[in-house]
Amino acid sequence: MGEVKEQKTSTSDETSVEEVPGVITTTASAISDFLKKTKAQDLINWGRKNSMWFMTQPMGCCGVEMIAMGCAHYDTDRFGIIPRNSPRQADVMLISGYVTKKYLPALKRLWEQMPSPKWVIAIGDCSISGGPFYESYSTVQNIDEIFPIDVFVPGCPPRPEAMLQGFVELQEKIKAKKDLGTEY
Amino acid sequence: MDVTEILKSLTGRFPEAISEAIVESEIRARAYVDKDGVKEVCQYLKDSLQFDHLCVVCGVDYIKRNEIEVVYHIASYNHPVVLMLKAILPRENPEIESIVSVYWNSNWYERETYELYGIVFKNHPNLKPLILPEDMLGEWPLRKDYKGFPNKTARNLV
Repeated sequence: MGEVKEQKTSTSDETSVEEVPGVITTTASAISDFLKKTKAQDLINWGRKNSMWFMTQPMGCCGVEMIAMGCAHYDTDRFGIIPRNSPRQADVMLISGYVTKKYLPALKRLWEQMPSPKWVIAIGDCSISGGPFYESYSTVQNIDEIFPIDVFVPGCPPRPEAMLQGFVELQEKIKAKKDLGTEY
Repeated sequence: MDVTEILKSLTGRFPEAISEAIVESEIRARAYVDKDGVKEVCQYLKDSLQFDHLCVVCGVDYIKRNEIEVVYHIASYNHPVVLMLKAILPRENPEIESIVSVYWNSNWYERETYELYGIVFKNHPNLKPLILPEDMLGEWPLRKDYKGFPNKTARNLV
């Protein structure tokens, strides 16, 4: 079975790069790879960094601070950061608490449902190192090996201002093309 | 009905199943119950002694005695007594009769005691893990000889 599949993909690859005289064929990923080397990527990143919609997915007590951050008092809207209820509309996932062994498959599924480009911010001591639950039998340790985390915001829980600072740091990373969400 | 009367009534009705019945104070009493008679005792408590509120079901692992105890806290809305019932089970094969048919809210308590201690509640309507994932079943995390605690896999601890 595996061999047959391999053959099929290889033949389709051959047809896609088949040369037609006088016509230059290309693919979407080739265009994207080319754009990454030009100044146009700066413009794209400017748009991306100013519209970072995050997924409302609170997982612990830090989730309450996360919701407070999204509300009117701290007003993330001025940075273009808006809470979204669906992973399909979100750009940023906030891991805002301890990840238990039972919750990890659901979190992975949410992450897979988010369209690329997408980023992760780890919020609070629990998601960074386990927090008070660091030697528990049911929490998953070392989340950064599972998700490409750009920014860690320590605190137990961090203030909403600290979370906003984390978003600003992520914006700086995207502006400098050093984020883990895109391969440059 | 005060606490001494309650214990007298209980030991008089079940002289073999109830042992070491002790009055701790005016509002607290405790007793050991035989593991085969726990359902009948609970039924009697609920029907005749107005113990209509099951507070909690939990387990205790006594590894030196090679025993596991199931602890029931049963209270009442009509009188101020909280009764603690304990049943002793062998550590190798802990099995006890479920009391879901008497106290409906023991359903989830028994499921959690099952996933954490491995105590099998016979005739439970839906005995599956409550909070732990299915693949952790059989590890029994709150037993004293559990190897997975403390978990030392966290890398970036200060």
